Amino acid sequence: MTKLSRTLLAAASVLLLGAFVLPLWRIDLLAPQYPEGLGMLIRINTVTGIKPNDLANINGLNHYIGMKPIEPDAIPELRIMPWVVGGLAAFGLLAAALGARKLLYGWLGGFVTLAIVGLIDFWRWEYDYGHNIDFEHAIIKVPGMTYQPPLIGTKQLLNFTAASWPALGTVCLGVAFALGVAALVVARRRGANVKRASVAMAVAVAACAPPGPQAIADKGRSCDYCRMTISDERFGGQLITRKGKVYAFDAIECLASYYLQNGVAGDGSSLWVADFANPGHWVEAKDALFVRDDAHQSPMGLNLVAFSPDADKAAIGQAQGTTMRWQVVLALVQNQHGTSPDHPEAPGVAR
Amino acid sequence: MSPLQLNRRVVMSAVGVAAAAGLVFACQTTRPKTTNLAAGDVASKVYIAPGQYDEFYSFLSGGFSGQIAVYGLPSGRLLKVIPVFSQNPENGYGYNDESKEMLQTTFGSVPWDDSHHPELSQTDGIPDGRWLFINANNTPRVARIDLTRFETDEILQIPNAAGGHASPFTTPNTKYIVSATRFSVPIGAKRDVPIASYKENFKGTLSFITADQPGKMDIAFQILMPGYNYDLGHAGKGPSEGWFFFTSYNSEEAYTKLEVNASQNDKDYVAAVNYKKAEECVASGKAKPMPATYYHNYTDPKSRIATAEKKTSVKVIDPRDCEGVVYYLPTPKSPHGVDVDPTGEYIVAGGKLATVIPVHSFTKLTKAIEAKQFDSTIDGIPVLKYDAILAGEVQKPGLGPLHTEFDGRGNAYTSMFISSEVVKWKLGTWEVLDRMPVYYSIGHLMIPGGDSKKPWGKYLLAMNKITKDRYLPTGPEMAQSAQLIDISGDKMKMLLDFPTIGEPHYAQAIPASIIKERSLKFHNLAENGNPHAVRAESETSISRTGKTVHVGMVAIRSHFAPDNIEGVQVGDTVKFHVTNIEQDWDILHGFAVLGANTSELILQPGETRTLTWVPKEEGIYPFYCTDFCSALHQEMSGYIRVSPAGSAVALVANISPKARAQMTGGAAASATKGSK
Repeated sequence: MTKLSRTLLAAASVLLLGAFVLPLWRIDLLAPQYPEGLGMLIRINTVTGIKPNDLANINGLNHYIGMKPIEPDAIPELRIMPWVVGGLAAFGLLAAALGARKLLYGWLGGFVTLAIVGLIDFWRWEYDYGHNIDFEHAIIKVPGMTYQPPLIGTKQLLNFTAASWPALGTVCLGVAFALGVAALVVARRRGANVKRASVAMAVAVAACAPPGPQAIADKGRSCDYCRMTISDERFGGQLITRKGKVYAFDAIECLASYYLQNGVAGDGSSLWVADFANPGHWVEAKDALFVRDDAHQSPMGLNLVAFSPDADKAAIGQAQGTTMRWQVVLALVQNQHGTSPDHPEAPGVAR
Repeated sequence: MSPLQLNRRVVMSAVGVAAAAGLVFACQTTRPKTTNLAAGDVASKVYIAPGQYDEFYSFLSGGFSGQIAVYGLPSGRLLKVIPVFSQNPENGYGYNDESKEMLQTTFGSVPWDDSHHPELSQTDGIPDGRWLFINANNTPRVARIDLTRFETDEILQIPNAAGGHASPFTTPNTKYIVSATRFSVPIGAKRDVPIASYKENFKGTLSFITADQPGKMDIAFQILMPGYNYDLGHAGKGPSEGWFFFTSYNSEEAYTKLEVNASQNDKDYVAAVNYKKAEECVASGKAKPMPATYYHNYTDPKSRIATAEKKTSVKVIDPRDCEGVVYYLPTPKSPHGVDVDPTGEYIVAGGKLATVIPVHSFTKLTKAIEAKQFDSTIDGIPVLKYDAILAGEVQKPGLGPLHTEFDGRGNAYTSMFISSEVVKWKLGTWEVLDRMPVYYSIGHLMIPGGDSKKPWGKYLLAMNKITKDRYLPTGPEMAQSAQLIDISGDKMKMLLDFPTIGEPHYAQAIPASIIKERSLKFHNLAENGNPHAVRAESETSISRTGKTVHVGMVAIRSHFAPDNIEGVQVGDTVKFHVTNIEQDWDILHGFAVLGANTSELILQPGETRTLTWVPKEEGIYPFYCTDFCSALHQEMSGYIRVSPAGSAVALVANISPKARAQMTGGAAASATKGSK
């Protein structure tokens, strides 16, 4: 193993310790009566409520349907898991210190095995809670109804929508695994250089990054700024928060206006605009080239279209106007819209 | 450029030009205005301009406040709080000598209760606005409120009962209101029994109370029932007039951990009572008199003094002695509300744990009784076959159906506690037509006249149990929340949120025009029948009988007469009989004395009220008017001098010379000496 490879593995091992402080999984229970939210966090050694009394409140609700109470002390895995993850971290550090590539293979293999076993075990517990119902004492009995929460995703359980997603601790584990893979890539190529490792790390980080832009002109979705239905995506834009929530806009100027009003810079949000020449493709606003061309009647009237920076000159050339960068677009929109008192009240971005 | 691209560009330009006017400024001006217009449209539906009146009076029970709150609809403006079962220091109800007997029971004075279901009196099945009835759940009672004065005039205690929940629903001509027991208890002489002997000793009762004559509420008869929990009721109407329907749960007869143990059976029962048959039983002597003590309290409208009368016997019908009086209709599951549609044919039960809304047919019910389609008999009560009486089931209505009201256009609206919504469905086809989420966890809902033969089906009021973030926060304890929904169209429209007092369990509403013109403006002083009434300043008085001092006082803008009193001694009981001799609309006075161990008096024009005061220390005590009445309201005050017990200070007051001259006897003689 090269020095870089060993460094990466050591970093990966240290990152595993993130699982000791950050929750691994998060299950939200959404219902009208709980505007403040209700849910639980699965941590490496316990299960807690998202808010201090959530777990007790969830257990209180579950007694109506005959579900047994969730008691962290009764789940032996929660006592074992710290040792398993801790052991994996120690093993990784040892492998990094010794620099033996076989140990790195062993570390990655162990990681994958433990991850699979862990997820299966988690599913098994969810199955048990959801199906092992005390029908004799259940107060609300709905024929054929079981209450297993989803492993990943959302599911309707009576009046609650259960949403289950990996939390930051698991993201840490995922990044650690990606770093381990990077270490392996570097280790496998003797001539590996920093650039290659950087690429691997970039891949690893990208794997953990928020989801990219998505199609927005579907199902009559309306613009999050001006509320018009988005019918033509080619003029559109979107803002994706760090948490992955997508705000969609029917026009670049709506994206700009929203951005100007809500000031979401620096929180990890990304801004995307549709590549006019390449339908279905999205370009980050900061990279895009914008053209104001009155031949392209954009829905909001500023007639802005965007192109990828490496778009073919001819494609841009067809647009009859000057090309500009995102900062100029913001200035333009600020002048056109920014001081208008008639702005619709756009919702704030969830941070 | 390909022809296709050219074509696209041409089309886009054309569309652009055509739409330009509308679109160019869309982001800046058009859209926000549209948004405001939409909001303004809803706002205008609930906006009552200053000086204008609401379309409906609505009466919301106060729940654990024990009172009734009157709101105008559609504005949601609070018009009045009517004190009923709880003392009300705001106006002295239940504190002053005249009204305190209203709260008398066999347990002594009970100064609080849990008021649940307001019910308007009806004529031919339609609310008539004469009276409003309401029940007390904790210490079972029913009250009559007069709607010319918005005052509680009459309270009847219900014997052989605990938890007066299924009450006080009325028959179509207000011949009876009812009260059924939510908590079954041992009845009769032997009441000290082990709780575990529940099945053997605990009974429910269904009480029918005569209600069509003020001052004469009484229990016509009680029906002795198995020890289930009787929850709600509604009278039949039209073809089903003469029948009364009560839900019951806990057919398991559990007496501990009811939330589990009373939720075991897949079906409980709606009790269908043929009260015409019951009347026949009473007439033919099959109802047995049973010793039972209970109070009937009535405020005479002339004297406006409440008297409490103790009663000692009640007529009880055992269904075993009287065939055809009661039938059980199996109903899933732990049913709560039971509501009869305007035609009188459909009986809708809200099984709070059921996954469907079952609807029974009155036609089928009568046929099943004729054909004796019985599953079994419980304590002389035949249980009809579910399939024989079922009109239909509303499938997948939502979670936790509780109560149903009707719009008179063939639609029913059911509140769903667990899924927190109002569900509109069609009678006859049982299809769900619309849903409206409500915030949060609705209990009752109410449509003006929605439980009667003639609903005024324009609005629906949702009464929600949980408030959380609906209003500015006020700490852990918040007002509960009502929501007004427009039901005049195919789709329900949410119009308004407004906070309420206590916990409104149910409400009634009636067009304002029916009540408004009859509302009393003041009491005619000449007809004031209070024995201590003082009709003119020249009739004020002061007198002593042993250790009791009576002051006959008047209040008129802006003074009391007398306003200087001396000769009261520590240990005396002073009775201030204060008459507001104003004969003018909305000129009320108040009366409060420093250190009095009771509430103030609030005096309506022409009314006499008495405050009882026992001074404990010598000194000078001011009294004053508490209800801002006039420009010199702050001057409307006086003093009482309290001397030690046995003091030689004579009892005197600055009563009028004419009054002095008219007074006779020792007390009057001392009173005429004037102040020392």
